[in-house]
Amino acid sequence: MKRDRQTLPIVAIREENVSLRTFTFETSLQALPGQFIMLTVFSQGEKPFSILDVTESSFSMTIKNIGPFTERLFQMDVGDIISIRGPYGQPFSQETGRILMVGGGYATPPLRFQAKVLREAGVRYLVNVNGARSETDLLYVPDFMDYCDRSLIATDDGSQGYRGTSVAVMQDVLGEESFDRIYISGPEKMMKAATTVARQFGVPFEVNLERYMKCGVGVCGSCVMDPHGFILCMEGPVVDHKTLDKLEEFGVSHRDKTGRITAL
Amino acid sequence: MQFLGKEIPSPLTLASGILGISFSSLQRIIRDGAGMVTTKSLSLEPRIGHEGPIIAEFDGGLINSVGLTNPGIQDGLLEVEKFHKEFEGVSIVSVFGGNAAEFVRLAKAVNSSSADLLELNLSCPNVEDEFKRPFALMPEKITEIVSAVGAVSQIPVLAKLSPNAYDVAEMATLAEAAGADGITMINTLGHGMVIDAIARRPVLRNNFGGISGPCIKPLALKLIHDVYQKVDIPILGTGGVSNGLDAVEMMMAGASAVAIGSAVYERGLDVFRSTRLEMEAFMETHDYADYSDLIGLLEEN
Repeated sequence: MKRDRQTLPIVAIREENVSLRTFTFETSLQALPGQFIMLTVFSQGEKPFSILDVTESSFSMTIKNIGPFTERLFQMDVGDIISIRGPYGQPFSQETGRILMVGGGYATPPLRFQAKVLREAGVRYLVNVNGARSETDLLYVPDFMDYCDRSLIATDDGSQGYRGTSVAVMQDVLGEESFDRIYISGPEKMMKAATTVARQFGVPFEVNLERYMKCGVGVCGSCVMDPHGFILCMEGPVVDHKTLDKLEEFGVSHRDKTGRITAL
Repeated sequence: MQFLGKEIPSPLTLASGILGISFSSLQRIIRDGAGMVTTKSLSLEPRIGHEGPIIAEFDGGLINSVGLTNPGIQDGLLEVEKFHKEFEGVSIVSVFGGNAAEFVRLAKAVNSSSADLLELNLSCPNVEDEFKRPFALMPEKITEIVSAVGAVSQIPVLAKLSPNAYDVAEMATLAEAAGADGITMINTLGHGMVIDAIARRPVLRNNFGGISGPCIKPLALKLIHDVYQKVDIPILGTGGVSNGLDAVEMMMAGASAVAIGSAVYERGLDVFRSTRLEMEAFMETHDYADYSDLIGLLEEN
């Protein structure tokens, strides 16, 4: 069960918007949508990141600049080295019937990856709702249009698509059409609202959860969820509706860097 | 079987520092087949610990530099209370202080909770930058801290010793003389280092870490054997146990109970259930009726 750690140069950097960049590395990574990797930026530490895409010989991650770690990463150029380990965690399932995907903000990279994989697997019907605060925060709009049969956009300020949340649009879509499964990725409060809607319509769903993670391999306990000791980095981060039923802290609380329970 | 007056269904125990402090993971480990759980070491104030990477694997095991991450004694004991509420299971609360007075404050807090046993972590190798040399390497500190805590504790006290001491058996004798009710040993070994040759840097953010896993088992067995010869108090053995046979060997060397840490990484949480079944299979094949029959059976050549 020994997992390989790899030290690699950055082969491409793409600017997505003012605070988001996509970094690409050349290596074959057996990863599925929803899984994550632990990324080391030398002299700055290690953090978990979701995977945007893999090809036969490369993988990429879209990363937001939010603190000292990502600031250091954003100072790096093509050719500079980082280190990775993984992929870790449980991916989204590969249901290929009638699929609805609901994304919020910068949590959409795994959904873009999922859309691509499902399209390649011959998904019957794929609808995506892409939500963001504003037009400039929207990600992968052309990609989702490519991969999906219907691609809807919701912005809080109405600068593109529907004015409102992706959950409101999701509710409308569910009123119009039937689906076999819903994949949800976004801020936890948005996902909580989305799961309530999904349950109202009785559609099975999966969510992509986030908790503070440190070891990534199920031993440090940082990401454990109450009340059953669910180890998110190993048994998640994607969980289905049945498992989510048991995670009473979903949408309510999380644990900080010391392990203390804090309100979400 | 019994350990320090507590009835336990199996000698297997969660070692301190693995899977954190949350009541839900502690309960889960008991449900998975452990007899006892040890909490992560609690300090007076919350600690974030070191930055990642905090863990690195190598062919013989793991190196970690967690750095005593914990929510502090107050929040930590709330988790212990939740663990015991409507749940059968023996808890060992591990504490870490910067001096004897802090250990006493921590011990008093643990005594006023529903914790079953108290473990004094005298041997964390990952906080030397803050706290200097581990207490378990200094005979006078062992005596001072164990006797100060012994004077205030109503629940049994285990002293967790370091494999890095020159004469661990001597340290155990001092702990016993100072009033310890049991010995936990060994803590992680080292410091060790794992190097990334491409980056020309240590893999761990903190550069060094404590070594655990299969590669330290022979050392743990030898030291437990040594200490078993010298003291009359029970030993909670730990260090590189990954399966039932390892646990049997450790009990034969002199451990009364056996803690598992790194093997959770190797075999997942199911390690407690499978190790217990493997132990029972060994005992049945070789006609041992009870776990306690194994303790100290080793004969030297």
